[in-house]
Amino acid sequence: MSYLDLSIREIHAAYVEKKVKPLELTKEALLRAKANQDNCFEYICEKEALEFAEKLTEVEEDNLLWGIPYVAKDNLSTKGIPTCASSNILKGYVPIYDARVIEILKEKKAVLIGKTTLDELAMGGSGMTGHLGYTYNPYDPDHKRMIGGSSCGSASATAASIVPFALGSDTGDSVRKPASYGGLVGLKPTWGRISRYGLFPFAPSMDHVGFFTRHVEDAAIVLNALSGRDDRDSTSSFKPVEDYLEATKAKKQYKVAVIPEIVDSISDKELLAEFNKTLDKLKENGACIDYVHMDPASLSSIYATYFVISCAEATSNNANLDGIKFGPYYEGNSYQEVMRKARTNGFSELIKRRFVIGSFALMSENQEELFLRAQRNRAKIVSEVNAVLKDHDFIFVPAAPSVAPLFNASGDKLSSEYLIADNHMAIGNFGGLPSITVPFALENGLPLGANITGRAFEDGEVLNFAKQVEDVTGLGGLSAKKEDR
Amino acid sequence: MNFEAIIGLEIHVEMRTKSKMFSPSPNAFSKEPNTHVTPLDMAFPGTMPVVNKQAVINAIRVANALHMEIDHTLYFDRKNYFYADLPKGFQITQQFRPIGKNGYLTILDKEGNPKKIHIERIHMEEDTCKQLHMASYSLLDYNRAGVPLVEIVSCPEMRNGLEAMRYVEAIRNIVVYTLTSDGKMEEGSLRCDVNVSLRPYGSDKFGTKVELKNLNSLKNIEVALDYEIARQSACLLAGTPVQQETRRFDEASGKTVLMRVKTDAVDYKYFCEPNIAPIHLSDEFVDEAIKTCPELYEDKKARYEGFGLSSTDAAIILSDIEMSRYFEKAIVNAKNIKTVANFLIVEVNGYLNKNGMAITEFPLSGDNLAKIAAYQDDGYSHKQCVDIFNYCLKEGVEPEEAKTTLKIEKQISDDGLVLSFVTEVLDANPQSIADFKAGKDRAVGFLIGQVMKAAKGKVNPGAVAKIMNEELAKR
Repeated sequence: MSYLDLSIREIHAAYVEKKVKPLELTKEALLRAKANQDNCFEYICEKEALEFAEKLTEVEEDNLLWGIPYVAKDNLSTKGIPTCASSNILKGYVPIYDARVIEILKEKKAVLIGKTTLDELAMGGSGMTGHLGYTYNPYDPDHKRMIGGSSCGSASATAASIVPFALGSDTGDSVRKPASYGGLVGLKPTWGRISRYGLFPFAPSMDHVGFFTRHVEDAAIVLNALSGRDDRDSTSSFKPVEDYLEATKAKKQYKVAVIPEIVDSISDKELLAEFNKTLDKLKENGACIDYVHMDPASLSSIYATYFVISCAEATSNNANLDGIKFGPYYEGNSYQEVMRKARTNGFSELIKRRFVIGSFALMSENQEELFLRAQRNRAKIVSEVNAVLKDHDFIFVPAAPSVAPLFNASGDKLSSEYLIADNHMAIGNFGGLPSITVPFALENGLPLGANITGRAFEDGEVLNFAKQVEDVTGLGGLSAKKEDR
Repeated sequence: MNFEAIIGLEIHVEMRTKSKMFSPSPNAFSKEPNTHVTPLDMAFPGTMPVVNKQAVINAIRVANALHMEIDHTLYFDRKNYFYADLPKGFQITQQFRPIGKNGYLTILDKEGNPKKIHIERIHMEEDTCKQLHMASYSLLDYNRAGVPLVEIVSCPEMRNGLEAMRYVEAIRNIVVYTLTSDGKMEEGSLRCDVNVSLRPYGSDKFGTKVELKNLNSLKNIEVALDYEIARQSACLLAGTPVQQETRRFDEASGKTVLMRVKTDAVDYKYFCEPNIAPIHLSDEFVDEAIKTCPELYEDKKARYEGFGLSSTDAAIILSDIEMSRYFEKAIVNAKNIKTVANFLIVEVNGYLNKNGMAITEFPLSGDNLAKIAAYQDDGYSHKQCVDIFNYCLKEGVEPEEAKTTLKIEKQISDDGLVLSFVTEVLDANPQSIADFKAGKDRAVGFLIGQVMKAAKGKVNPGAVAKIMNEELAKR
């Protein structure tokens, strides 16, 4: 057992009691990172991390993140440290400024160990499309299963216990889905709660900074640090930040909505049995569980709606990567030629496909039928979700229809299992609602995650209930290390 | 001519705010390229736009001066296109909800009658990079990238070059006096795109539109439009249809030259800017912006005319906002504002022109100019006052000291006293009288000189000349 495998609070206690020093844990985390075989890393900040950790000699007793090693998804801007969003178009790009969340963690003296892989430019949900290839699920040493994406490297690194927490980003379910496949706590707070300044945009109206931990309490600790207004992100909220750690303490009784249209679209019997067991435990624990119906047509339209809006925004957000300021420079006789060459060579086929779709949806002759219709449908779905949340504190459903899928699994993309159970979490992005995934069971040694989505700015309530799920399942601190399974 | 010209203008005005439209980078003139740049201006991944409050205040003030409806919720949109000078690959603008719409302003038409020009919209947006094209490469200067702009779009209601020129002049006066912009056309801080088409008188359909660019002075607008109207008219009379095209004004020849033929319009794929949530402007905020708006050009002009200045003189002073600032400081303690204005228009402007100087560099304070003007009102001759003025500038001294050093004393203009000196001199110089009668005009100069000498320069030469001529006629 290493201190590195403990919770943030336990590591902090060990620092306070001088049982271990940040430099030792930093070295250990670096060793684990370098030994990692799951393709978690774009860049391991060995030199920077050691220099930073060396200076951490006087423990700050009131700062739980002091000396805690962490990793960050490679779409978060890090000053002086290469950041390429797992895309060839940004290969070699070294940012000149820190994202707000990186800046905060520097101030908190958390130690950045490395930058993690993602689906190229955060577009994707498999962890298969980054320029370094597949990122693997540490629960499957045979490398046959995905960890999911797009925050694949951060999820995989946390599941492998390289670090106690990892930053990610979540536009559709890019933190919460891999959290489900990796047995992790994955939180996407309310939109505007954490500054997005320095997060490479994919679809800003749905983008969130999120993160992975192995304990719900740790998620509260990290959220406490990262929340708050940032004048450089004008969409960040002025709402006062509550003490989320405090919010997880007293067990509260909640009214919870389970959506049968989501649950029933899942075919995995074992998953459903485990989920029902969890519901029973929660009832025993005092929760009021109701089955609340939602319009299946609305739920089935989430994926298409998400795809149109996200591709449309993405095509615009990535227009800066044109080979003039960013991206490899290719000679050309005109600016068009320079741009065409850079973008043709820099983006993978999948990305270009999304750009074409996004552009198509925005063209003036299609905008009404595609982009604006998707926007209206998004608003409709949000109002339906808010109607459920009027009488219930949360929506509680399985985060995914299965354990981590095999890389070569082929599913029916038009089945309701895919359209609903595999994509419902984008609801949280449509409405900017706080949403968290927590493990609720293991199926043949592979984790299953449940998702809790609550009302905007009720992140504390969501964490409180997540803690209750963690308590009734006893899966707090789960990791892919053998002794934990 | 058989055709009526239909002219509409789109004017882009660079705002003189401290920082840029969406970034904290300084918005100021710099000779050194790429020095006023933050990561946002170069579209570094992850940077986010934050709306400049002062730019919003300026836009509200201009919209109010143009009698527009002001939208109390701000929305921004993206205009997407690829171009070398466009850092983000899109421009943030206000396509769907401009901050102001449905306004007007009044100009004078050719006959001098007031004419209302309706204004469709005013919106805020950001400027692009400046490009410098070299033989085999281009250079980019990001100092201009992100500079706040307001775009003012008129309805197509102007009918000739003069009206267009007057419209632009009126817009310039508004943006300059609301302190929105320096409005310098030559430097590109006020840029006009003009659309012009012709149609037969009486027709209610529009002809094919031609866009004119590179109109970098008021005069050029008039010249270019007059040329272009004549050109299109000749085309139509010759039976050649006017092409839809963009033409550039060539200053040297006074002609418009084809730049490019317009093909299908670019689809800018506008959509709402997701990084700026709609911003509600409270009534208090909008009212405060309007209430604290500096005095508008037209109001200032009316006030100056109220001081007794002619419309022309008021316009001369107001043609340069710094000149009007100087003027307003000078008249704070002035007794006769008109005299101060005359000194400013004639003497000060003369000095500035001679020395290639701007009013801001003029060494004499407004107060001192007012003092010198007051001497004239007090009975000192204009020439004496000019001497004081020149001495002050030359030696850098106060007017009192200049007057003492130059031993300038008040001259006598009292007719009785002057007459006694004149009579004395005429009596003593019969030969000069004879010379004058024989047609030698120079004799008068001599006689006046004698009077000045006898009076030791203390008489007013104007009064002497008047009485001398009267007395000579009598003899």
